[in-house]
Amino acid sequence: MTSLPEKLIGAAAPRPLDAQRSKLPLLLALVVAVGGCVFPFVVTSTLTLSLLTQALIGAMLATGVGFLVRQNGMVSFGHALFYGLGGYILGVLVSRGIVPIELALILAIVVPTVLAFVLGLVITRIPGVAFGMLTLACAQAFYELALKVRGLANGDDGLAVTFPARIFGVPVSLLQDPHSMFVICWVVLMIALGSLWLLMRSHYGLLTFAIKANEERARFIGYETLVPRAAIYAISALLAATAGVLATFYNAFISPDMLHWTLSGSALIMAIIGGTKAVWGPALGAVVFFFIKEIAGDATEHWPAVIGGILIVVTVFVPIGLSGLLVRVFSGRRA
Amino acid sequence: MNATSSQPFALQGLDLSRVYGGFRALDGVAISVPKGEVRGIIGPNGAGKSTLMDVLSGRAASWGGTVRLGGRDIGALSPRERRQAGLARSFQKTNVFAELTIDEQIRLAARSVEIDNSAEVLDKLELTALRSRLAADISYGDRRRLDLALALVGRPQVLLLDEPAAGLTVEESLAMARLLRDLALEWQVTVLLVEHDMEVVFGISNRITVLHLGKVLAEGTPDEIRSNPVVVSAYLGSSVE
Repeated sequence: MTSLPEKLIGAAAPRPLDAQRSKLPLLLALVVAVGGCVFPFVVTSTLTLSLLTQALIGAMLATGVGFLVRQNGMVSFGHALFYGLGGYILGVLVSRGIVPIELALILAIVVPTVLAFVLGLVITRIPGVAFGMLTLACAQAFYELALKVRGLANGDDGLAVTFPARIFGVPVSLLQDPHSMFVICWVVLMIALGSLWLLMRSHYGLLTFAIKANEERARFIGYETLVPRAAIYAISALLAATAGVLATFYNAFISPDMLHWTLSGSALIMAIIGGTKAVWGPALGAVVFFFIKEIAGDATEHWPAVIGGILIVVTVFVPIGLSGLLVRVFSGRRA
Repeated sequence: MNATSSQPFALQGLDLSRVYGGFRALDGVAISVPKGEVRGIIGPNGAGKSTLMDVLSGRAASWGGTVRLGGRDIGALSPRERRQAGLARSFQKTNVFAELTIDEQIRLAARSVEIDNSAEVLDKLELTALRSRLAADISYGDRRRLDLALALVGRPQVLLLDEPAAGLTVEESLAMARLLRDLALEWQVTVLLVEHDMEVVFGISNRITVLHLGKVLAEGTPDEIRSNPVVVSAYLGSSVE
């Protein structure tokens, strides 16, 4: 029989009512959160910081994908839709001077989130592979739109985004410098992870976890199940859109690649490598993914094969992902 | 059988029908259960017992007839709305949240109906000592009681129980029967009970409805059912003589 503590591995299980949870992981999380902010003062290599900044943006996207798996038990093959849409809304609105950059930023996050909620009311009814295929189809539809409608953002060529000098009084140049952008992405990611952690421990987190575990029973104890699932889908889209916005600020460029299924697939791979039970698992997976990509990419043009091999190893031997493995190792339990 | 909405029935199903392909699982079934009564539903496999529970609880997708809870037509309500209106059910297969603690799921159930009698329910079902345990880690008998507890939170008016004693030992079944009888008496909960264990059904039911091929074959007190020659020949045989 599995003991209760084993079921409560760190953040692996939603135990909002468990009063005996150790405070050590919280303290560790706080140290990591603060430590990340001083990281650019320790590592001064622009190349490394640029890579890490990209990894943090990827981590935000992967966190969204992983959160959907964790709370809804649903695998999305199309989260690039919300990532790319966020980027396109910001890039196009700012480049065309349609609205002020501040409003464009808000719209770039709100519109994909609302779209995901409405879409979620339809597609989260459908379980399993069919859901994954629907997310893929939706993302590819937007990809084709971005590709074929050249008037939108130059189609396949993409669009170099020219930002105004300031946003909310802050110089936009800070969002394009690896040193400052690393800190900004880190803070945004920490806020996102902290918020998800709190959500998971709230009544709503417990409810959505219960719905994932046994939807029929949830209905029969008196709960609506569709709206909570759509809401979780929307929250995961919000994270993806935020990642897309950060990427657009950092790269000052948008292209259909931001909407392509390969990006959705990469985010899913990051989440699987990192593990989805812990809220920080997908983010860890993203950092590992980017470093493997960088190192293997220097050695061979076939670096995706290396990623594939690692994915197989993780799936077969460490299905709980690196985060689950770390938690077990540090808590003295067998992996 | 000619009950009307003016009578003080806690639960009524009138002219209930449900068709699977060409098979009529329910064919004009009428059932009226007064408040506080324990009504047993028996019948051979395929008689329509579980289908009746599904129709009454809102689980069935398409069906015909009328379902009333305390005189109110609830036929158009979803399972969630029926639960909030006071109609709860348990399932033939234990249907709990395996990865949640007992406490968590009881609190979830209490919050949905906005009446928190979780402590009372846990105490009544002897689950208090297990409240911090995951449902996956408790015994089958405890999970059956948890299933029942989830239905009892909020003190529903009517409780639909689909084979609550399934898979239990004889002792556990009898304990479950005593518990149900006590609950019906103390909390004035109306119970509709589908059960294959005749000892349980005949031991606690005020009245029994016998279903056969989707129709009501007979209805009466346990003694009347025992001595009903049609029921005996169609279903009971000599097992309850």
